[in-house]
This record gives sequence, C-alpha cells and structure tokens, in this order.
Amino acid sequence: METIRVQDISANDLPWKIEYNAERCTMCGSCVASCTFKAIKVDVQRKSMTFSQENQPEPVHIQKSIPVIKQIAEINNACRGCGMCERVCPNNAIRAVRNPDNRRNLLFNRPIKRGGRTNLNAQRTLDKIIVGRISQMTDPSLDAQRHTFDIRSPLGRILSPKELPFAISDGKLVANKKIPPVRWIYPLIFSDMSIGALSTRAWEAVALAAAYLNEKCGLPVRMSSGEGGMPVPLMESEYLKYFIIQIASGHFGWNRIIKSMPKMKVDPAGILIKIGQGAKPGDGGLLQAEKVAPHVQAIRGVPKATLSSPPNHQGLYSIEESVQKMHLSLNAAFGFRIPVAIKCAASSTSVSVYNNLLRDPYKICGGFFIDGIQGGTGAANEISLDHTGHPIVSKIRDCYLAAVEQGSQGQIPLYGGGGIGLTGNAAADAFKMICLGANGVFCGKILIQLLGCVGNEQGRCNACNTGKCPTGICTQNPRLVKRLDVDRGAQRIVDYVLAFDAEFRKLMAPIGNSSLPVGRSDALVSTDKAIAEKLGIQYVC
Amino acid sequence: MLKIATTRNHERMSTQDLLLMIESAVRDGETDFDISASGQHNIGGAVWNLEGKTLKFHITNAGQRVGSMCLPNTEIIVEGSTSADVGWLNAGGIITVKGDAGDTAGHCSSGGKIYIGGRAGTRTGSLMKHDPLYEEPELWILKNVGSFSFEFMGGGRAVICGVDCENFSSVTGERPCVGMVSGVVYVRGQISDFPEDILCLELDSDDISFLKGGMNHFLNAIEKSELIAELSDWKEWKKLRPLTFEEKKPPIVHNIADFRKKDWIKGGIFHNVATDDFIVLNTVNRGLYRLRVPSWDNEKFSAPCQFMCPTGIPTQKRLNLLRQGKIDEALKLILKYTPFPSSICGTLCPNPCMEGCTRGKIDESIQIGALGLESARVEVEPPKILTGKRVGIIGGGVAGLSAAWQLVLMGHSVTVFDDAAQIGGKLAQVIPHSRISPELIKSEVNRVEKLGVTFKSNCKVDFEMFKAICEEFDAVLVATGGNKARYFNWEGAEKLIHGIEFLKSINRGEEVQIGKNIVVIGGGNSGMDVATSAYEQGAEKVIVVDVMKPAAFEKEIRRLKNFGGEIIYPFMTKKITDEGIFSDDGRFIAADMVIVSIGEAPVLNFLPEVKKFRDWLVTDDKKMILPKVFAAGDVIKPGRLTDAIGDARITAIAIDKYLRGEKISLPAKKIRVPDENLSKKYFEKCHHCDLPDPMHEHLRCVSCGTCRDCKMCLNSCPEKAISRIEHDDGSWEYISDENKCIGCGICAGVCPCGVWNLSDNPEEIHMYRTYTAS
Ligand code: SF4
Ligand code: SF4
Ligand code: SF4
Ligand code: SF4
Ligand code: SF4
Repeated sequence: METIRVQDISANDLPWKIEYNAERCTMCGSCVASCTFKAIKVDVQRKSMTFSQENQPEPVHIQKSIPVIKQIAEINNACRGCGMCERVCPNNAIRAVRNPDNRRNLLFNRPIKRGGRTNLNAQRTLDKIIVGRISQMTDPSLDAQRHTFDIRSPLGRILSPKELPFAISDGKLVANKKIPPVRWIYPLIFSDMSIGALSTRAWEAVALAAAYLNEKCGLPVRMSSGEGGMPVPLMESEYLKYFIIQIASGHFGWNRIIKSMPKMKVDPAGILIKIGQGAKPGDGGLLQAEKVAPHVQAIRGVPKATLSSPPNHQGLYSIEESVQKMHLSLNAAFGFRIPVAIKCAASSTSVSVYNNLLRDPYKICGGFFIDGIQGGTGAANEISLDHTGHPIVSKIRDCYLAAVEQGSQGQIPLYGGGGIGLTGNAAADAFKMICLGANGVFCGKILIQLLGCVGNEQGRCNACNTGKCPTGICTQNPRLVKRLDVDRGAQRIVDYVLAFDAEFRKLMAPIGNSSLPVGRSDALVSTDKAIAEKLGIQYVC
Repeated sequence: MLKIATTRNHERMSTQDLLLMIESAVRDGETDFDISASGQHNIGGAVWNLEGKTLKFHITNAGQRVGSMCLPNTEIIVEGSTSADVGWLNAGGIITVKGDAGDTAGHCSSGGKIYIGGRAGTRTGSLMKHDPLYEEPELWILKNVGSFSFEFMGGGRAVICGVDCENFSSVTGERPCVGMVSGVVYVRGQISDFPEDILCLELDSDDISFLKGGMNHFLNAIEKSELIAELSDWKEWKKLRPLTFEEKKPPIVHNIADFRKKDWIKGGIFHNVATDDFIVLNTVNRGLYRLRVPSWDNEKFSAPCQFMCPTGIPTQKRLNLLRQGKIDEALKLILKYTPFPSSICGTLCPNPCMEGCTRGKIDESIQIGALGLESARVEVEPPKILTGKRVGIIGGGVAGLSAAWQLVLMGHSVTVFDDAAQIGGKLAQVIPHSRISPELIKSEVNRVEKLGVTFKSNCKVDFEMFKAICEEFDAVLVATGGNKARYFNWEGAEKLIHGIEFLKSINRGEEVQIGKNIVVIGGGNSGMDVATSAYEQGAEKVIVVDVMKPAAFEKEIRRLKNFGGEIIYPFMTKKITDEGIFSDDGRFIAADMVIVSIGEAPVLNFLPEVKKFRDWLVTDDKKMILPKVFAAGDVIKPGRLTDAIGDARITAIAIDKYLRGEKISLPAKKIRVPDENLSKKYFEKCHHCDLPDPMHEHLRCVSCGTCRDCKMCLNSCPEKAISRIEHDDGSWEYISDENKCIGCGICAGVCPCGVWNLSDNPEEIHMYRTYTAS
C-alpha cells in the first residue's frame, strides 16, 4: 500500500514537473550532479508484478528494484525549470515541464522572493507598434548597409541655442561660462546590475563587452555600474571612461570610488543617481546574504548580511532636494566635467518629475532615465515584481510630449528601459522607443540572458536571489561562478550589439533617417486602437 | 542631314513629338541629325538604322537622358553641358558631352563610351555593368564627379582626369564606389572616403596602355587635345577597384578572449578581491568542484529498533551478524546490553523496538522479541581482566541485576543486596507465573550469578548498613525500585488491598484470601496482572476501574477479557466501603474486595537526606545521588522493565568511568536514521505465513543505518568511484574516491540502509577575499 495525506506536498503542486524516462536513463548521475537546486534525487523504484504465462492461470511473480531519478517534492527544493538536467542528460531522459496547475503560491509559508522580471505584466505594447511609414515614393529609403548613420545620443544637459553662453571675442566665438558636459554615446546603455547581484565573472563579462565594443567596434556603448560599487582596478584604468558610476540609496561602494578618485586617469562616462527601479518601485536594492561574499563585503564595505537599501536616499526629502543636493554633489565630485543623470521607476508622476527637472534653473540634470515595470532585478518580493510598477512606453511618450509642449525636447535626454529586448529583439524595441521620444534605451536582463541566463517571464528559473544560479551569473558561489565563461559571454554580448547596430540601421534606412529618429512618431503605426490613441500615432488594421 | 529646330514662334516641340519625328526619319533612312533641342529627354536613344549604318546626332541644349538606351552605331555629340542621366543604360553608343554632365551620368551603362568634357554630378557611373559578350563600357570625365559616384558598379571603366580640381579635397566627392563589385575607376587627383572593400592602387602596364589608348580619342572628342601631356603623367594616377570575391576578407571575427588577454586589465578587474583563473567548469565535476559529496555514514544513525529500545539494543547488528552467518556472535551480542534477553525481550517486554521497526512499514515488524528468546541459554565468558574495584548494589531487581551484569563484564566485582529471599525483584516476585515461567527467570538470574555477581539475599539494608556498604565498596548503586503501593486519600482507603503485596504473596505460593466480586483500581499492566491473578485465585467477577482509558497492553487486556473481566472508565474513585466502591459521580460497584494497583513508590528510609522529587530520587548528570552513590531504575522514575535495564546500563557506564577515575559523561543517544534515507522499495511484502523463523529474520531486516554489505553502491556508482576495503578483523568499509566521484548521490539513492549520505561540498574554495593581496 502506498498512500499519502491530501495535504502532503507532491510534485504536481510545484511549478515545474520533472518528466523522466527510465527506459532511456543510463544512471550516469549527471542530472543530479548538475542541479543546483537539489530538485531531483536518486531513488529506488520497485517493479513487482504477478503474471501468468501458461495457458491456464499459473501465477509467476517478478520483482525488480531499479534506481530512478525522482523529483523532490518540497517547496524549498522545487524545480525551477532551469533545464540544466535536460541539457546535461546524454540520453534525453529528463526534462522539466511547466505545470499550469501548480499551487506554489498557496504553499509558500512566507512571502515569495525571487529575481527576474514581472511574470504577470509581460504584455508588450511595443509589439503592437509597427514601423509603418516606409514609402519609397515620398521619403527615399537609405541603404542600411552602405550609408553612414549617425547613431549617437547625448548624455548630459543640452542647452537651447539661446541659452548657450557664447560671445564674440576677437572675431571668434568663445564660451564665457561653463557649458554643461555632454557626451555623445551609443543609444543602448548597459544598465545597472550591481557587483554582488552579478557574479564577478558576469559583471566582468559585461564590462569587457562594453570595452570591446568601444575599442574594437567603434560603438560608444556605456555601462552603468549598478549600485554595488566599482572594481578598483577598473577605476584606475583607461577603460573607466566607458563606465557610468551609479549611486543609489545604499551608497554602496562609494568609499572605494572616492578613494580611487586621485588615481583615476580618465573621467568616468557619467554618474547615474538611482532613485528607483522599475521592477520594484518603492523598494531599495536587495542583496540576500547568500550572495554577500567576501569581495562583495570588501567593495561595498559591509559584513555578510542581507543588504537592503532603504527605499529612499536618506538625505533627500523633496524632489527639489533630489535634484539639487544629489546632482550638485555628484557634479562637484568630478569638477562639473561629467554628466550626472537620474534614474527613476516609471510612475504616474514621471511627467511632473521630468517637468521639474526641465525647469531647474541650474541646468544640472544630464539625463532622465525612466525604468518600466518589465525591468529585471536580482531579488525582490514577487508581489512587487508582479503587482507594482508602470509600463514604460507611454511614459516615455508622455515625457517627451511634455517637453515638446515647452519647446525643450532633447534638453534633458530621455532614456527608457524595462523590458527592452524582452522578446529578443532589442533593436526593434529601441527604435520604436526612440521614435516615440526617447533619446536612447537601457537594458540589463537581456545582457545576462546573452551570458547564458535561462530565466524568463514565464517563471523559468528566476532564482537570482538564491545564490544557486545554475549559470554562474547571479551567484557568488565559486563552484557556480566558475561555470561561466567570461570570454564567450562577452562575445555573445558583442555579437548581439553588433547585430543590434545593423538591425537598427535596417530600421533607420527605410524611413530615410540617417540620424536617430528621436520623436519621429510619424514613422510608427499601431494595430491597437487604444495604443495608437494613447501614443498619438496612426491606427492601422 | 536632318536639322531639327525644336522651337518655332515660341512654341516648343514636346519630347514625344521630337522623338517620333526622329524615329520616323530614321525609318526613312536618315542617319544624320542636327538637333537644336530645348530640353527634350532621351534624344539619340533606342533608334537604329535598318541597314546598320551609323546614326549621328549633334545636339545642343539637350534635356535629361541624352543617349539613353543607345545602341551601337550611334554617335552623339552634345554641345555645351547637359543635365542628368547622360547615357543611361547606354548599350553601345559613343556619347560626347563637351561641357558638364548632370547627376547620374553613365548610370547603368553597359556598352559604348561616354565622354564628358567637364564635371559630372552625384552618383555618376553608378551601377555600370559589363556584359561579357560585349566590350566593356567606358566613361571618361575630364574634371571630377559628385559624391556617391560608382555606387554598386558592376563592370566597365571610368576615368576621372581631375583637371581643374585644385580646390577639391576629393575628385570623387564623398563615399565613392560604395557597393562596387567590379570594374575600375581611374582617378587623377585626391580621392577620399572610399569604403574598405575598395582598393586604391598604382597603375600597372595594362592600365597605362588602356589610358594611353583611350586618352587621345577622349581629348579629341571633347576638343581638349592640348591636355594630353598634362594628363599623361601616369604617376599622378591611381585606380580604384573593388576586392574580388576571392580577395574579400572574411567578416571580422571578434575575439574577445584575445582582447581580454592582451588589452584588458591584467588578472581581471576584480584581481584585488578575487583569485580567478578564468578556467571554465562543466556542470558536472569531480573533487573540489563537485556541488555535493557523499559520505559513508555507517552506524552513524541508530536503527529505529535500537532507537526505540530503551535498553538501546542494536538489533540491526544482531541481524547483520546472522546475515554473515555469525550465529554465535549474533546471539551473544544482545547480552552486552541486557542479561534478560529471553525473560524480558522475549517475554515481558512490550517490544517498542518492534513498534519502530522499519520492516513494519512494509509488512510486519522483525520478530525481535522472539529473537531474544534464542539467547536464553547462551553463556557469556567472564572478563579476563579484573579491575579489583568493588561495587555494592542495593536491590536485586531488574535494574540492580542489569547494572551488576554490566559492571562485572567491565571487570569489577559486584555484590547485590536484596531483602527478599529470592533475587530478581518484581520479575521474580510480582509478575504472575502465568505470564512467565519462573524457570526462565531463574535461569537468567543464575546466568548473572554465574558470571560472578555475589548475591546477598534476605538482607535488608537500613541506614546503618547503608553507611557500612558505602564504606566497604568503591561505589554503591541504589536500585531498590518501587515497592510501596501508591494510592490516594480516598475515604475507606484503609480497606484497600495493595496489589503488589497481593501478587507477591501469590508468587511466594502463599494461601491468598480472595473475594467473590473484586474491583481493581488501575488499568495498567500490573492492574491486569492483579485482575487476572484474582481470577486464577478463584474470584468470580473482576472489574477494573480507571480514571481514563487503561494503559495496559492490548495483550493483557485481552487476557482479562478472556477470563470474563470487565473494564470501566472513566471512574474517579470517591470512597471504598465494605460493600464496594463509589465513584465521585455517584456510581457504585459492589465488591467484597478492592485492590489498588496504580503504581508503586520507592521506600528510601535507609538513605540519608538526598534530593528527591515527590517519592523518587533525583540523580545529577553523572547519575549520582551522593558521593560515590549512584541510582538507577524505578527508584528514580517508574518505568517498564526495559527502561530499568537501559537506565542501569547507562548508570553502569557512569560507575565504570567513576571507578576508573575518568570524567563521567553519559553516552549520547544516536539520531534515528531518517526514514526517507532508507530504500524500502527493495523489499517486497511478505505474507504472514511466509515469515521466516526468528533466526532468519535477517532476510527481511532492512539493516537501517548499518551497512549490510550488499554492494549495491559499489556496482551502481557510475564513475566507479567506490571501493570496498576489508579490514583484518573482518569488518569492511566503503570509500568514495574524490578524484572520481561527481557527487551524483546515486550511492545515497540506492543504498537500502541509508548509509551513504549526500551533502553540500564542505570544502571551501578560496576565490574571494575582503583584503587586497599584495
Ligand atoms: S530543471 Fe533545473 S531545477 Fe529542475 S531538476 Fe532540472 S536542473 Fe534541477
Ligand atoms: S543525466 Fe539522463 S541518463 Fe544520466 S542519470 Fe540523469 S536522466 Fe539518467
Ligand atoms: S528493519 Fe531491521 S534494522 Fe530496521 S528497525 Fe527493523 S529490525 Fe531494526
Ligand atoms: S555514486 Fe559514485 S560518483 Fe555518485 S556520489 Fe556516490 S561515489 Fe560519487
Ligand atoms: S549500498 Fe549496500 S554495501 Fe553500499 S553502503 Fe549501502 S548497505 Fe552498504
């Protein structure tokens, strides 16, 4: 007799079920040895049977006990669907399948924490938008391969022509006041994944790809450090110029950043003040103790503990203060030589915030980064991931149009992020965002997906917070970190960005733009009436 | 010669009229045209003389596409400049423009020659082609061309002489030759901005001979023959040609690894806090990098039988010895734990071991009690080495005798004092003979004596004597048990008969006064003993009352019921009268005899002041109550026989340590083997009638937590990492070689006994640090 109690947890309660074929399995042990979540184990299965093989009932009994791979039916060891077992199995004998009838949310006896993106709001406005104005009769198309395109976005405060402090002296135009610094960069920024959230190897792979794209491919791609500080050797190298240093509410790593200042050979590309994050607005960063390894402790200056950044910067009490105090201090830190931008989670109030920044008389904000609900994170409460946030597409549009209304579009460059490349094609997403008014986009999740992250918006893996990342990307466990190939990972990113660049031109060319089509919403149409109406673009069907 | 003036009286002839006029004239045989045009398009193209004669056009003020689709045997001379698309799709005509040409001159021409005596506009020469059946097209330009010229050029030769271009940074404008796949562009003067797949080369002799050959014709045609010397300094010339298909470089292969090694920060950007060799691991590894490691935890956990047994008897080991055919050792093993394998394990013990037995979850528990009986007559060798230490034990019951047994086995000399005539305590004095034969008890008690324990029976220890014993012996054990009936202060309690005395006198063989209707208060096992004994002594009706559901074993209750006995609960006794017993809720049971049997308390009047809890002794963590005085058994806490044996065993260990002058620490109880570690699936249910005899129970025993040497692990390990090592004493060990093991846990999964366990690889990898290494 084999029986259970109805409240016992069984595999069919879990989000992923292991489909296993004992006939094919050769018991090589690879799957169990690979699974970082201890979601499967070896067990013995009895095959016992009474049968008859005579021409009258003549019971014969056989009994066999065979080893099998079995799913562990425990919520804490639930299979995450990462697929490592399937990949490693030489015999196609095992795989995880999504279980639509799972009862995971009911069985957790505590708030669910995880990484990744929202799994509930993965709907895609951008896929309902098409680049619809391609008319070789009225706007001759360009040749994507052969024409030169100017794919550069500003990072920094752009003054309107009449504000430019120029005077004529000795027949020459000279600036009689300091002009805010502006850097012209690639419109795709590698964004904000901290040292700690990422493994050393993963962070280094992204950094390496950024440097390579600059040095060898001529693409001025910038990478934002994330809120976990910067590696000292990088700050002391020439490559620092490709990096935007972030400061968030936890101010992690700034001791080493400040101590490195006298040794910096070049300025960083910019500073990004992180106020909030699209994946979990209202929350500060969260790094589970599992991941606070010695080097993270060193760089961040904290002991091994779960590190929660406060939801707000502690010294800021109002929007004016956020702008003035933070921007001023960080501008001052680098002699007013580098742009300082600000990143907020998209919200119903983003337009007001943007207006406020635009009105700032000191012209001190060099970029407004808005992060939408589909952004990724290394660790958050699932309730925040799935039930809080704000979509990015209309938000960028609203901010852009608000600026247009005042004639100040482009003065504080707008960068949009959160789900860029969610379905794989970041170029299309970026292009549409730019046509709607963004100066550029930033992306993070897709970068780690390029490194090998298998997580997705359908609940696959999303174990970034556990320290058990099977790909060595979001963990500080050396046994797992060492699974990640820095060179191959960086190579994937480089190849992807080069393809992005080519594909981006493949969209610029047909609409006849050789420079970024910022705000060229006439190039877009939508098959969704509500979206068309909201964004002010043509509805087509 | 047909002269055509295209304007008359300010009326302009349309392109259509002009072309139709030309066409009809050509059909009529006209070959010479002098056309004074006014911007009409396509003059000179797509017309031919039926006899193949050359058609000549002299044109002034031509419009776009002069000479378009021009066939061989057509010669066109344009005076002055012309607008766009001169020679568009020229298929063989010789077209001369004496002045400048507009944009896209020679566009798509694939035959003939086009001579431009001035500049040509943007996209000149684009998409020129060469049809291999015919001669290649030529496009000669005296001065320069506009930007984007020669785009997508697929054949032919273009010549740009660079005259009058001193102020231009490039005679080919910006981005010439984009997408050019074949053909040559000869250039004299500055060239810039051509794409990477275009070569800019010095002329070779073929080039020079082509230019030499053509230059005169060109200059003559445009009437600039005076420039011949200026344009014949071939060192001033270059040619542009695309890489051939074969020459084209494969697309750039980005090699990040190379970049990291050569250009990147040495040792990586984390070298100050991390030691990383950048070696990439597979998901499956051996040794240090395995995620998990197996450990062979033989006997680390106790089997459920052992765990549940208060005496701690490792039945799994007995069965393992039987499995190995070591019958003698198997039967002797139990005697290391108890002197009463048959009277207690085999007869009186409720066998909690069997309650826990894993096999019980499959079919029926291993017959552990019956196995105990097999050790009834087994003799034990007395110890060879004696310590010379003497222990006095007060109380010859189960606890006292068990401790005596252990202590003698440890080499001490032991004397047991008991007030009864017969050594054996309750076992001998109280438990009815119907439950156990006195011979069995006697034989096991005798075995204790035979081993060398001195019995002092009929020896009541009082305060004085206790003092003397304490002086005489190196250690003293108080194991007097409980022998005073307990009861509450009910009304009429003085009328109660005490169960323990009742049973004792029966066992002593005395004549016992017995009533007809008996009530026994207390539904425990001793209550049942009293009740059944009452029947045996001649009672007609026995009713057992209890405040709650009787705690006696099923077996004992059944025995009572077989006699016709009755049990009533809950029943709170209120008073006892000569007529019977009343409960507090007013019930009355008539009885002529009420016997109380709700337990016994110790009698401790021989002891000095000691710590107690109610009536019982309290020992310290060394099992002591006084200096050198220990206590064990029911004198501390009422319990089952097996509890007393277990307690005595632990106390004996404490006494032994004490006698040897060692620090007294009581052995810790092992953790019970987790059930999920056991692979019960190997074992098939066995029908009750197929149960083996107890001496063959090893066939059914799982061997929980103890290696049964089945070699499943050895044979299942996919990496052949496991070896079996046999030691000289016949014991064995399985080890996993870390250099082979991948940490898959198959060993743990297949081990029936839960001996292999898998845990996270504890070995640290020193990859990260908080300090900066110098
Ligand atoms: S899918 Fe991933 S988590 Fe699930 S069993 Fe396979 S390796 Fe383990
Ligand atoms: S990897 Fe495949 S073959 Fe190997 S044990 Fe697992 S399921 Fe069986
Ligand atoms: S199966 Fe054997 S080892 Fe396990 S509890 Fe029963 S007797 Fe003990
Ligand atoms: S079965 Fe072999 S390889 Fe697997 S854990 Fe055990 S010893 Fe290691
Ligand atoms: S599998 Fe068999 S041989 Fe191996 S440890 Fe377990 S009991 Fe011993």
